[in-house]
Amino acid sequence: MTSCRAAQLLRVVAITGIGLWSLAPIALGVATSLSTQADVQAVPARWLPRHAMLDAYRSLLGGTGDVRAGGSVSESGAFAHALWYSASVTLMSTLAILCVAISAGYAFARLRFPGRGALFWAIVATTVVPVFTVVIALFGLMADAHLIDRTLGLVLVFVSTTTPLTMWLVCNHVSELPAEPEEAALIDGCTRWQAFWHVVLPQMRSGIAALSAIVMLSVWGEFLIPLLLTSTSASKPVTVLIPEYVGKYTTNYPLLAAAGVLALLPPAVIALVLNRHIRGMLSGSF
Amino acid sequence: MDRSDAASPSGLVLERVRKEFPGGVVAVRDVSLNVEPGELVVLVGPSGCGKSTTLRMVAGLEAVTAGEVRIAGRLVTGLPPRHRNVAMVFQNYALYAHMTVRANIGFGLKMAGMPKREIRTRVNQAADILGITELLDRKPRQLSGGQRQRVAMGRAIVREPAAFLMDEPLSNLDAKLRVEMRAEITNIHRRIGAPTLYVTHDQTEAMTMGDRVAILRKGALEQIGTPLELYERPVNVFVAGFIGSPAMNLLPATLLSSGDAWYASVGGSRLLIPSKARAALQPFAGHDIVLGLRPEDFVSSEDLREGAHGVIQATVARAESLGSELLVYFTINGDTTTLPLTVRLDRRAAVQQGAPARIGVDLQRLYFFDPKTGAAIR
Repeated sequence: MTSCRAAQLLRVVAITGIGLWSLAPIALGVATSLSTQADVQAVPARWLPRHAMLDAYRSLLGGTGDVRAGGSVSESGAFAHALWYSASVTLMSTLAILCVAISAGYAFARLRFPGRGALFWAIVATTVVPVFTVVIALFGLMADAHLIDRTLGLVLVFVSTTTPLTMWLVCNHVSELPAEPEEAALIDGCTRWQAFWHVVLPQMRSGIAALSAIVMLSVWGEFLIPLLLTSTSASKPVTVLIPEYVGKYTTNYPLLAAAGVLALLPPAVIALVLNRHIRGMLSGSF
Repeated sequence: MDRSDAASPSGLVLERVRKEFPGGVVAVRDVSLNVEPGELVVLVGPSGCGKSTTLRMVAGLEAVTAGEVRIAGRLVTGLPPRHRNVAMVFQNYALYAHMTVRANIGFGLKMAGMPKREIRTRVNQAADILGITELLDRKPRQLSGGQRQRVAMGRAIVREPAAFLMDEPLSNLDAKLRVEMRAEITNIHRRIGAPTLYVTHDQTEAMTMGDRVAILRKGALEQIGTPLELYERPVNVFVAGFIGSPAMNLLPATLLSSGDAWYASVGGSRLLIPSKARAALQPFAGHDIVLGLRPEDFVSSEDLREGAHGVIQATVARAESLGSELLVYFTINGDTTTLPLTVRLDRRAAVQQGAPARIGVDLQRLYFFDPKTGAAIR
């Protein structure tokens, strides 16, 4: 009885500790984003704003130079554009990655063809290659293809880097699905493609939702590749734009924090909406 | 009678069908059989004997390595499943989980491009036959095992296929429901009339449902015949041991002759061999044979009649009352070995555990097998 209560207490302490560790930076970011530059730089440190205000958000999204927010560092609408651009690149990449990964994963799981095993592991093996080891070659390749500062360039690179792992997960998922409904569909008059469309895909709905979330979160948070392949403000996603708010001599902390909070919202919404599917996938049951 | 010679063009015919998997594993060895229109043939055998693979080759879900499959007179060996016009019921029902019962049953018709109105009519008719009309708007997860089984049947019958294939369709049901569905499937089969190939590992299902039963072992067809033929005239030790519950007692025995009388000596007992069996047994005189005794061909000592019954001396090891009958497990103490013997007796038979007993066996119901090849001697 005592050991049971002690275990429960330990669990509460552990969860609280992990929660604080994870949420404290976010809470601090939100508090900073609602403060003035003077609040942030006050000595001794002031953790909560004296008068919470949204000036930093207005400056960030409107691009107006407001003195109370600490001066203007962003062009009008640049951040809003970067948010929109990040969202569109993420959606396009996710769609492309899922199309390729689901088709390939299904084929590797269900179809039998010569060289299937070797090809599968050759593709999966690329997941162990860190991106930073190929950045120079990648930059050269994209420059030759005139894909620098182009949405297509970013999407193509995201597809090639993220698809192998996604395909692997799809392949495992399809292998665990019962083959009989699909076979019943083949006997019921379907072609392989029709059976895939009418029977397999609906069976995978939950898995696809989980994969979508994982792929979207991964693409949204990508930094190195967009940093390498974008140079104009029109082609920079939010992850590349935010570090530019750090100045050489001075930094507008409320503005920087507001950018961080806004950049955090889309992945947070994705994680919340698809939470059930992600948990299912992590527990191995989709 | 070899019915493959007289195969009807509208039936289902397998001609020397063989399945070899990569790596050289032979799952099915040159199996030939035919299923006439209106006939239900059961493929039965132990796990891994190739019965499901055979069915899947007929459905087109597995490629045939060699041989031919004909359905309704049409060679379908190389055709994909959708062009074979067969319907299949799977062990785990294989329903489309995201569709309603109505959509499940009508899916094949929809794929065939049938007008919606006609699909609706035919789905309603099938549901009516199976008594699942009130379930048509439910999803499979809202159904019990028996109801799912009916939906799977509905999906098969609604298409009016040229042949039905059933892969252990009752295995996932409880014992009571299985008995009910057995009768129901038989009735539906009679009503529909299409040739049906039914796979099971359950010999009771095979014996009660099959017009004919085909027994497979290690991919080869051991025997095909009516349930009674298989029971009465098994071609070898395997079939003899497989058909019948409890299984036939297969005991090592020696064939002895004493003047005109021939005996099978088993343990310390001697059983007089009927004169009609002697001609076939001639080559085995003085040699070992395998003696087959069905548990139901025994009588207790009270009912024993000299002349009609041979006598075996044994000891009662255990008795199980099934209510209507008594299953008694004896041991026959031979000179060097102890042999087990399972006997089915009248429920009123007096048996006492550990006590020696005299049991009578019907001498007209002895089976003899070659101990080397396992083939029946007759």
